[in-house]
Amino acid sequence: MSVIEIHGLRKSYRVYQKKEGLLASFSGLFHREYREVNAVKGIDLTVDKGEFVAFLGPNGAGKTTTLKLLSGVITPTAGEARVLGYVPWERENDYRRRFALVMGQKNQLWWDLPAQESFQLHQKIYGIEPTAFKQTKDELVDLLGVAKLLGQPVRELSLGERMKMELIAALLHSPEVLFLDEPTIGLDVVAQHNIQKFLKHYQQVRGITILLTSHYMKDVAALCKRVVIIAGGEIVHDGSLEGVIDRFSDYKILTVDFADDRMPSDLARFGEVRELAPPRAKIEVDRNQIASVLTNVLANYSILDVSVEDPPLEEVIASLFALTEKQQRDSQDANIATTAANVAAAGKN
Amino acid sequence: MHRPNYLAVFWMFARNSLIRDMTFRTNYIIEVIFGVSWALMNLGFYTLIYRLMYADGDGHANIAGWSQYQFFVFIATTILVNSLVEGFFMANAEELSELTRTGGLDFALLKPIDTQFLLSLQRVNWSAVPKLILALALLAYSIPRIDGLTLSAIQFLLYPLYIVLGTLILYSVMIGLAATSIWLGRNQSLYDFWFYITNFSRYPMEIYEGTFGSPLRFVFTYMIPILVVINVPAATLAKPLSATNWPLAAFAVFATVASLAVSRWIFQRALMSYRSASS
Repeated sequence: MSVIEIHGLRKSYRVYQKKEGLLASFSGLFHREYREVNAVKGIDLTVDKGEFVAFLGPNGAGKTTTLKLLSGVITPTAGEARVLGYVPWERENDYRRRFALVMGQKNQLWWDLPAQESFQLHQKIYGIEPTAFKQTKDELVDLLGVAKLLGQPVRELSLGERMKMELIAALLHSPEVLFLDEPTIGLDVVAQHNIQKFLKHYQQVRGITILLTSHYMKDVAALCKRVVIIAGGEIVHDGSLEGVIDRFSDYKILTVDFADDRMPSDLARFGEVRELAPPRAKIEVDRNQIASVLTNVLANYSILDVSVEDPPLEEVIASLFALTEKQQRDSQDANIATTAANVAAAGKN
Repeated sequence: MHRPNYLAVFWMFARNSLIRDMTFRTNYIIEVIFGVSWALMNLGFYTLIYRLMYADGDGHANIAGWSQYQFFVFIATTILVNSLVEGFFMANAEELSELTRTGGLDFALLKPIDTQFLLSLQRVNWSAVPKLILALALLAYSIPRIDGLTLSAIQFLLYPLYIVLGTLILYSVMIGLAATSIWLGRNQSLYDFWFYITNFSRYPMEIYEGTFGSPLRFVFTYMIPILVVINVPAATLAKPLSATNWPLAAFAVFATVASLAVSRWIFQRALMSYRSASS
């Protein structure tokens, strides 16, 4: 059963193009130039109940915008979306009682008060039965190990502790759908790990549907089987994390330990040499040629050890992001060039 | 889970705000001192004016038909309505443009509760309480000193009603102006105009006459009905009930309902155009 259904979802903003300098600011009072920013350019996505899906993408790819659209915080320019059967931006209270959004960079708890006061406020706003409230709260507090911090003003908590409180606040009403926008941003490794462990456990026990955006590959690898890569407002990959490597990396890494320090000097003919520490060499070998290169090496040299590996996931994703960004810039440049050409042509006429 | 009990939610707002105010004690005390001083200075200023008029005239000083103690009731009413607006709404309206700018409005939009209710009332400013007490004390002091006035029970009942109506009119103007920050985006808001506009409400409406006054009176009675905010309750209490007052009193009810409706409409429209801030 699908919980989230998105068809052709688009969101564009009109942004005032501010020019540099005081004089230009004055002229901006009378004549303004606007630029259309397409944050999300037509997304189609279906997510089933109980899935834990990761949104990956470079900054400004449209991940957060998509989550905000699905939470009904903003309304789309075009397209449709249904979550639990509701149109999010109609902001029905029935819908708002059934999902939650956690943003790693924003905080919804009362800053100057202990977190427990905010929890009580949530109980009233969500109309949670007192017994259910106590049970859920105790369970979450126990799982995240923050019992001692409940009475401390939120502003005195560390970032990691605050994030845990944010999670509790968001989960008190037992949402069926959870949107997590970079929940581990800025956290140290231990805190990141704790949050990951918690999320994994919670999702498995409750079987809720979670959509997560993150910059940390570790979050994604630890939590999500399904990865949706967004770049430039479009989905470029939807599948497993391993699938990303199969699809977007065209090389493998061949590591060879040569015997007797007799290392050939022309390793470059097999591929790009990445690391040379005799007797070991690491070579990037084209995916299609890995078999022939391997045969060649094994037949002609005396070898102690050999291994073939996929390139690190982060590397593949980084180069994928770089590629999509370049494509975008190129298409933008092309647009500008056409506009300029049209203007020039118009001038001649 | 079920629909929230709005009264219980408001009680949590008030409670949490009080806990917060108690944490920042110094700040609270300073706010109280400034608030009460402002009210007392106002009172002193008008006492001065009446004293000058007594010195000039025949011992029957009045401003547009308001004798000194009647006018004290007027001032007390101003302080009272002000303390209510400050106590319940002002901090929230101020916060609204900040929430828009920082994207904090996101969270308000997620809550399964009326967004206007949430954003209008989530902070209660307890430092307005001493001002409210001062206003009540001034009423108690002034009313017995008004010549030839015997209050009827109906006046006692109508006064709080009109105080509530007046507060709601000021709230409507305030939230309507503040909501424009969502519409206009970022740092822009018409909220500051609230202070300019409501300035006119602090004087008896009888002074607005002649070629300059009459248009002002028309605009601020029928277009933006802030003149009825203080005038109607103050006249109800300080002057004998008379049939000539009824049309205006009835209009105050209509004006309140209309103001609330218009501000609600503006608020809802503004929320639809919310853009959020990047994170």
